[in-house]
Amino acid sequence: MRFIRVFPIIIGLSILFGVAFSGLAVAPAFAPSVAEPSPGLVAYTSSELKGRKIYVREGCVYCHSQQVRDVPADANLAMGFGVSRAGDYYYDRPHLLGTMRQGPDLANEGRIWRKDVGQPARDYLIGHFINPRNYNPASIMPAYNYLSEEELAELTDYIQSLGAWKDQPGESS
Amino acid sequence: MISGDYFGKPYKITMTITEANSQTAKTSRSKLVIATTLEQQDHATRVWLYSGIFWMVVAMMIGTVEAVKLFDPEFLQGVPALAYGRLRPVHVNIGIFGFMSMGYLGAAFYMVPRLTQTPLFSESLGALTAWVWNFNLLGGCLAILLGYSKGKEYEEIPFPFNMIIGLLEIAIAGNLFSTVVLRREKRIYVSLWYILLAIIPFPIYYTLGNSNSFTGIEDAIVNWFYSHNLFGIWLTALGLATLYYIVPKQVHKPLYSHAVSFLGFWTLAAFYPWNGGHHVIWGPVPMWVMSASVTASLAMLVPTISTMVNFGGTALGTWHIFKKDISYRFSLLAYFGYIGASIWGSILAIMSLNAVVHFTNMTIAHVHLGFVGFGVPGLVAFIYFYIERSLKLKYSQTLAEWHFWLTVMGILGYTISMGVNGWLEGSQWVAGNSPQGTMLMRYPYHVARAISGLILLIGQLLFVWNIFKTINYAPKNSPQSTIQN
Repeated sequence: MRFIRVFPIIIGLSILFGVAFSGLAVAPAFAPSVAEPSPGLVAYTSSELKGRKIYVREGCVYCHSQQVRDVPADANLAMGFGVSRAGDYYYDRPHLLGTMRQGPDLANEGRIWRKDVGQPARDYLIGHFINPRNYNPASIMPAYNYLSEEELAELTDYIQSLGAWKDQPGESS
Repeated sequence: MISGDYFGKPYKITMTITEANSQTAKTSRSKLVIATTLEQQDHATRVWLYSGIFWMVVAMMIGTVEAVKLFDPEFLQGVPALAYGRLRPVHVNIGIFGFMSMGYLGAAFYMVPRLTQTPLFSESLGALTAWVWNFNLLGGCLAILLGYSKGKEYEEIPFPFNMIIGLLEIAIAGNLFSTVVLRREKRIYVSLWYILLAIIPFPIYYTLGNSNSFTGIEDAIVNWFYSHNLFGIWLTALGLATLYYIVPKQVHKPLYSHAVSFLGFWTLAAFYPWNGGHHVIWGPVPMWVMSASVTASLAMLVPTISTMVNFGGTALGTWHIFKKDISYRFSLLAYFGYIGASIWGSILAIMSLNAVVHFTNMTIAHVHLGFVGFGVPGLVAFIYFYIERSLKLKYSQTLAEWHFWLTVMGILGYTISMGVNGWLEGSQWVAGNSPQGTMLMRYPYHVARAISGLILLIGQLLFVWNIFKTINYAPKNSPQSTIQN
């Protein structure tokens, strides 16, 4: 008997929560743009995945987003690289979209420091990880001088993979 | 202590037990028994509340270190566990699962027995869950510092610590819910509605958010569905429950309107779970996810304004209480913090404005107005209330005044410095500048933010000192002080 007074509240809350749950958590999985990879998208290699784990571990995502939007604030990025699409993230697990830009967006970093440039691009990225202030004295990025050589190399592989598939779709798959 | 005068009437025997053999004399006697046991118990409440205060101070200390790192990156450099990217998730998780969750669960453990006129289902289970929650959270945070973060915002705590949080919450919800089911007071006050909203759906979205079975954009949408429920129907619901409980008691009059609180509650429950998608406005998600979330975020103005009207109406004409009662002053500060953060949140979801200030420090300002503008004063108000009304102790008024004004300065300093910074950043990006190009512009605001954080921290340390002295020394030295009010 006593339970009955609480019952309508719980039913009401369950319905409201259930509707939102279906709408926001279940339904997007069936949207075609989400469920299929972008044309030309390449899966990560094993060393890129290891680098990605370092990116997750060190919390790079708290300062660097990985998405270009179709808005005036991103106009330069959108003009140079195009706007990010849902299918671009098909292989991302966990997602690293980010919510904050203390530093630049990295969605297309692999098209700036391209793999085909060879050693100079790698030297820059690794040197920048070890001490960003050697390159930009005003930078507030932490110095990742405690990473091992191997870790720095893997992280560089990952950074160079970001967006690179848009220039050479499907080649390295 | 018994809250029978809650709806403005002096306490009468309104408690009717549904069994046929209930007699007035019997019920009034059993009420006396409850009154004494409540006074002696509250063990679970104390463990939760004091843990909440502890984590609040820890979260602020870590936050201050981070704030310094954002203008002096060489500060504490070279220790991997103290790198910015590892400290930030620890700061955030302690803020959510340490400070806010534990502090306001303490308030819930206090409110539920009183609002139901029933002893807590199990005090020892309540205290046990609090201790396990503490050590589990400590373990989870150490794991993040050592590099085992799961990497998604608000769900960084790795297995098995995240699973233990979920299981503990079920034990807590069971404890509180059993008390509600076994209650003697049949009417359910609005605080209890909010507590039910907080404790019942939590295991669903917490499990969903912490399961690693999604990829890509689906993972992002689930991430923000989970995290916005965590803010909206876990932390906010527990916080509002507390305010709805203490404010009428502090001003000695009933709530302005129960109809309005009804409207506020059901609209909040209907719209808040849809808000998650506003973290990806203009992002690479299906258009209807954005539209639904923007609509729901704007619709949040309904519960916000209901709450504003309700507490505003209750608070009208209470200036004399405001001047004397620090606890009530903090309640009103929390009220303004809640209204400010909520309206700001709705406005930030407007697509044209979001296009400018998303990814900037404006987000940081908004979140901190919620946590230090609503979370901190609300919890502090409850603790002053608890010390005065329940423990019957008198804290130092001078220290409490300092605490109040330092907190106000900290909140204003933080919100204004980061809000202005965010707006300038967004404008610079629209003008074609990049985040790297705004480093020098941001520097003074980052310094101002760190100073505000430090002021806030000093205020809370005074508070901790004040209540520590009050609780530990006052009753032994001067028993008379327990009587005066």
